[in-house]
Amino acid sequence: MNNDNIIHTVKLTKYYGKQLGIEEVNLEVKQGEVFGYLGPNGAGKTTTIRTLLDFIRPTKGSATMFGQDIRQSSVEIHSRVGYLNGELALWNNMTGEDLLKYLGNLRGGLDWKYVQQLAARFECDLPRRIQGLSLGNKQKLGLLQAFMHKPELLILDEPTNGLDPLMQHEFYDLLTETKKAGSTVFLSSHILPEVEKVCDRVGIIRQGKLVTVETIETLKSHSIRQIEIHFAKAIPKEKFNNVPGVRDIVVQDKLLTCTVVGSLDALVKAAAQCEVLNIISHEPSLEEIFMTYYNEGKNNVK
Amino acid sequence: MLNNVFMKTLRDQQRSLLYWIFYLIAIAVVMALIYPTISKMTAFNQYLAQLPEGMKEMFGGAIVDYTSPVGYFTTELFFFMVPLLLLIFGIGFGANTIAGDEEKGTLGFLLANPVPRWRVVADKFGVLVVSMMLLGLFFWVGLAITASAMNIDISILKLGEATLGAVLLALVFASLAFMAGCIKGSKSLSMGVASGIGVLTYLLNTLGGMVSWLKGYRFFSPFYHYMEPNTLQNGLSPVHILVMAGLVVVFFAVSIPAFIRRDISI
Repeated sequence: MNNDNIIHTVKLTKYYGKQLGIEEVNLEVKQGEVFGYLGPNGAGKTTTIRTLLDFIRPTKGSATMFGQDIRQSSVEIHSRVGYLNGELALWNNMTGEDLLKYLGNLRGGLDWKYVQQLAARFECDLPRRIQGLSLGNKQKLGLLQAFMHKPELLILDEPTNGLDPLMQHEFYDLLTETKKAGSTVFLSSHILPEVEKVCDRVGIIRQGKLVTVETIETLKSHSIRQIEIHFAKAIPKEKFNNVPGVRDIVVQDKLLTCTVVGSLDALVKAAAQCEVLNIISHEPSLEEIFMTYYNEGKNNVK
Repeated sequence: MLNNVFMKTLRDQQRSLLYWIFYLIAIAVVMALIYPTISKMTAFNQYLAQLPEGMKEMFGGAIVDYTSPVGYFTTELFFFMVPLLLLIFGIGFGANTIAGDEEKGTLGFLLANPVPRWRVVADKFGVLVVSMMLLGLFFWVGLAITASAMNIDISILKLGEATLGAVLLALVFASLAFMAGCIKGSKSLSMGVASGIGVLTYLLNTLGGMVSWLKGYRFFSPFYHYMEPNTLQNGLSPVHILVMAGLVVVFFAVSIPAFIRRDISI
């Protein structure tokens, strides 16, 4: 087994009774990378994470973290992992400070100065009782407890849930610093722009199956975009028929809409021959990207 | 202070525990204060003497002399009220500490830390035992002090032994609820199972005193082992204590592997 892999799953499968959680997921997350785990709600992201952390047990397959079996060495693995759960549930009856100190004690001590630095960065009101905190403020505490012991691996399930844009930005910065310091990050999300912003590689999961693992660049080059071009005058449709990568062309008088796969270069050059008033590009939704892979999968079968 | 799961669980329990201790002491004090008045109502005894055997079984077992200190405290406190209160506390806490936390989602949050599952079970069970012992201890102290102050002729030691018996009885059902929580992770199910079995075994013991063909099955009721020795009169009976303590140990022993083996729900 490759020692560079911080997380390595082999045909990891989890059924809840007859209901599918995940099926034959093969993941390799390398030392020092930020790995995005992308998928719609209910796709199996949380199931994968909960299996890795030994909360639930695989139906089939196996997995290692730091080269150690997730079931045999769960306690040792946990001591090297910072975890933020998706549906964050904290003990409401204590203050943020007590919470972090307690968790620190379970880990055998903390660098409290560092915790205070983090708290200041995220504007956490530590002496306040958790009960009265807003969703976003609870989420910040969740982030703090995941990062505060400087773990070698961070497993973050929908980390920006409830964070305002400013705090999201702070979180992305912290993520970058953490990566620079040599830690590995496994981050689940259903928000594509977020994953594009911070991740090196992305695994896409859909209906319990890992559809693909790509670098961000590849993912973007595969991406599908809806383009609208507004021209100054009516244009002939034939002009765009043979432009590579362009499909579903509809021309209505001065407006052209089409779908572009990958680079926009050819289309833009073709359009430049007429007077262009405006180009509107719709960022591909997650579902559209899934559809691309889905359709490609089907095409490969043919 | 929050050094481990034990201390954290105890801290969560702190306020509820204080209330319970307060109420139990209040009950002990009030009941002891009332006794001198009761002791003069000898008509009670004549009334009780007329009751058929089965009815006596329901109202106080072998106790005939209601107005004696032993008769009074057994009937008013140890026959029903004290075990019932301890059972309510114990079953509630037993069901809540694992299954309740699991339903809230905080159990998964805890288990992401480097704490083995057996340790979580052991610490939480430890708090259950300690809490119930504390309730018993304070109740006993309250009762003993008031009884002495009122010059009531009763053995302080035997009051303690009877209290310990009630604590053990409640612990049997509390650890049953705890075990059910470890097996299945549902708070309502755990409470339902423990209280359901509690009611059934209570009836088994009471009816077993009246219905002859049930008599042989009374041994299977924890209430039998609690009531039968008539502890306030005779002191603790080692055999009955061992049966109750044995059940607690068995339920705890099953809890650990059951909890280690299964999926955590949130």
